[in-house]
Amino acid sequence: MNDPIMTDMRSEYTKTLIQVGKDNPNVVVLGADTTDSLKTSSFGKEFPNRFFNVGIAEANLVTVSAGLAVSGKISFASTYAIFLPGRAVDQIRNNIAYPSPLGKKGLNVKLVVSHGGLSVGPDGGSHQQIEDIAIMRVIPNFRVFIPADTIAVSKLTRLMVNEYGPFYMRMARSKTPLVHSESQEFQIGKGITLRDGSDCTIASCGITVRMALEAAELLQKEGISCRVLDMFSIKPIDHDLLEKAARETGCIVTTEEHNILGGMGSAVTESVSESYPVPIKRIGAQDMFGESARDKEVPLLLEKHGITSFNMVKQVKEIRNKKL
Amino acid sequence: MGLNYYQIKKNILRSRKLVILATNTAGSGHPGGSFSMAEILGCLFNKHLKFDPKNPQWENRDRLVLSKGHAAPGLFSNMAVAGYFPESELETLRKFGSKLQGHPDLKCPGVEFCGGSLGTGLSYSVGIALAGKIDSKDYHVYTIIGDGESDEGQIWEAAMTASKYKVDNLTVFLDRNFIQQDSYTERIMPLDERLEGDDLSEMWKDASRWKTGDKWRSFGWNVIEIDGHRVEQIDAAIKKANRTKGVPTMIISRTIKGKSLEHMEDNPQWHGKAPDSDVVPIINLELESQFMIAPSIIAGDMTNLENEIKRCVSGRSDYIHLDVMDGQFVPTKTFDHLKIKELRPLTVIPFDTHLMINNPEKHIQNYIDAGSDIVTVHAEVTDESSFGEIHDVLKQNQIGVGFAINPETELPEWSYKFLSSLDQLIVMSVVPGKSGQKYIEETHSKMSRLNSILKQHNFSGYIEADGGVNLENIGSVFADGARAFVGGGAIIGQQDVRIAIREFRDEVLKSRRSILLEKSNELGGSDLVNKWIGLHVIGEKREQIKKIAKEAGYIE
Repeated sequence: MNDPIMTDMRSEYTKTLIQVGKDNPNVVVLGADTTDSLKTSSFGKEFPNRFFNVGIAEANLVTVSAGLAVSGKISFASTYAIFLPGRAVDQIRNNIAYPSPLGKKGLNVKLVVSHGGLSVGPDGGSHQQIEDIAIMRVIPNFRVFIPADTIAVSKLTRLMVNEYGPFYMRMARSKTPLVHSESQEFQIGKGITLRDGSDCTIASCGITVRMALEAAELLQKEGISCRVLDMFSIKPIDHDLLEKAARETGCIVTTEEHNILGGMGSAVTESVSESYPVPIKRIGAQDMFGESARDKEVPLLLEKHGITSFNMVKQVKEIRNKKL
Repeated sequence: MGLNYYQIKKNILRSRKLVILATNTAGSGHPGGSFSMAEILGCLFNKHLKFDPKNPQWENRDRLVLSKGHAAPGLFSNMAVAGYFPESELETLRKFGSKLQGHPDLKCPGVEFCGGSLGTGLSYSVGIALAGKIDSKDYHVYTIIGDGESDEGQIWEAAMTASKYKVDNLTVFLDRNFIQQDSYTERIMPLDERLEGDDLSEMWKDASRWKTGDKWRSFGWNVIEIDGHRVEQIDAAIKKANRTKGVPTMIISRTIKGKSLEHMEDNPQWHGKAPDSDVVPIINLELESQFMIAPSIIAGDMTNLENEIKRCVSGRSDYIHLDVMDGQFVPTKTFDHLKIKELRPLTVIPFDTHLMINNPEKHIQNYIDAGSDIVTVHAEVTDESSFGEIHDVLKQNQIGVGFAINPETELPEWSYKFLSSLDQLIVMSVVPGKSGQKYIEETHSKMSRLNSILKQHNFSGYIEADGGVNLENIGSVFADGARAFVGGGAIIGQQDVRIAIREFRDEVLKSRRSILLEKSNELGGSDLVNKWIGLHVIGEKREQIKKIAKEAGYIE
């Protein structure tokens, strides 16, 4: 594969917010002392009366966002992943997801976080949120995205402006490789087949999508045809696409930088086991916390948990032998 | 505009009764915290909140956020009285399929906030207030927080945020009832100065211990401290908050958990417990038997009425009775509206203006403009037409409508049609015009005649006893049905007005206790009497009530 083009999700997120903020006066952006890091402070410079920095007070961040939303605003609340689902789950549940104006489900708040997963790197295990998808997935009315690149970030941000209701979107800290084309469409609950294949499927999300594509390339060289899915919409998940992959390829490997318990891999497993059960192997954090790793050492940290294209190749080969 | 004092009081009573109905039917719920904020909600719903029950989502409505969501029955009962849904719907509280959930929920149109998880309502209110600022709306956000939930750190996160963003369209009431689920707040997590000893009454009595106001002031808030059961203080605080620009306002309202029912007051057990069905009728009777003491300042120094007002204030009178005499309707002359206007700035305590003058319809506007909250005119100098005129203009100005009859006067038949909307009926028990007269004993039998007429014509106001009321007879006057008591020499004539008023209250309380015991005995004999006594666990109440029951022969 060619060397990837690396782009920054946080910058793209705020760039998009400023663009939609011009058209839609109801878009408001909130932060909790990480607004320079998340770049959302630029939105504040553009729209000072629609930007609120509540300080290091994430519970407050979530609930103030809810109050704005119930009054007709579209609230985008952003900080690091570890400080939102990891810290303010009660407020997320009781102040955003639960309150449902007549005919609606939840309040119109979008929690968009950066620094998801192990790839956070040097800050260490305390900052590497590997539980957020599990937490957010079980809260009714929430929809959960993990975009793979900045094209997804931009399109999903626009989608969330237009689609009423609570969303959680997790971005990565570091620059990410472009995997989608500008023309790619993103729909709620619709996975994307990035590469077709017939011998096995790798269901991936976030930074592992590029790894999955690389793994498929390596497998191709060995004569194994591997399908690659970007399951950016973890909730709702694309049951049809998964059932089709199970029927047509007979086995699935899932990859994510999240605990294998409760994450995207679990969501895929739940779905497939109800539609067309096939052997599944989940790659991800092996139910253990992360640790510090300097930026160039992040691949070593990911490798420790098996999150590499080489391990994907290995797991695909093994699971093909277990096909029913 | 007047305070609309009696109308607010009447609706607060209706709401309290609905709280009892709802929690009793549900078999669970939180009456204690509903009652501590009853006057606050009553004052908001009946005087200050802009809302339209027919259009709950009206975009310019004021927002009421009940952060202490467990007091849901208190919110729902006020909403029912305000017309959002029929009062009978309170019987569905906490039941499957009801929009009246255990905690306030957007499922019920008109509810602004899903309460339940404590400490979050203030942040939410800040969000609503910010949205109002962005949209240049002039709606106001009123939020009730509890003292228990002030343990939550998020309250203080929100406090800083409100201050930073200068949300002066936000007014918060702290329902400072000193009780949370486990025990007294100052035992669990002190908001004031830590309580070292075991004497819990220190929490309320010793104002030098109170630090909660300092906390909020240091967070940059406009802080007002009031008695949270005094409608006029709540009203004045809201007006002051609305005039304050650039900062949010915190109204620290000292309240009593379970207020209005002796056995619930200050009793942590009633944080989250419903009353049993057999005591509900007794409870309702107690709720209907709230009373007020109104000193009459003409019994004091007529050359220094300003000082008499101050004595009433420090004596904590419920309202102040102003006898206006013109020297024609009665031989004496006291003062007129000009004096009332002068006295008005001295206090927010309601002015109960009693016009003993001829042709009251000609002067009524002056007494409205002077700042009266209740105006009473005499049957002897009005007829259907002139009283109708007076009635309408008072109602339009949100002033209580009072009607008075002299000892020799029977209630005129033409007045019957006004009885259901009358706020106050003064039954004179002396011949007006002179102070220092003795209570006319025939008034007792007159009261019993009156009661049946009043009941027949759906009178829902307060009967005020005026003339010769003293410590010896106040209990029996209360038993006759009077709920407001004018005290002349017996109060204002005393050295210490505060003690005199307290003694008046104690006597009424004794009378009320025996009436409630009589009701218990009538409904369930000694078993129910014993149960009723057993509910009173705080302080000396139980022994005192037991003594009354023994003397009456209800128990051994």
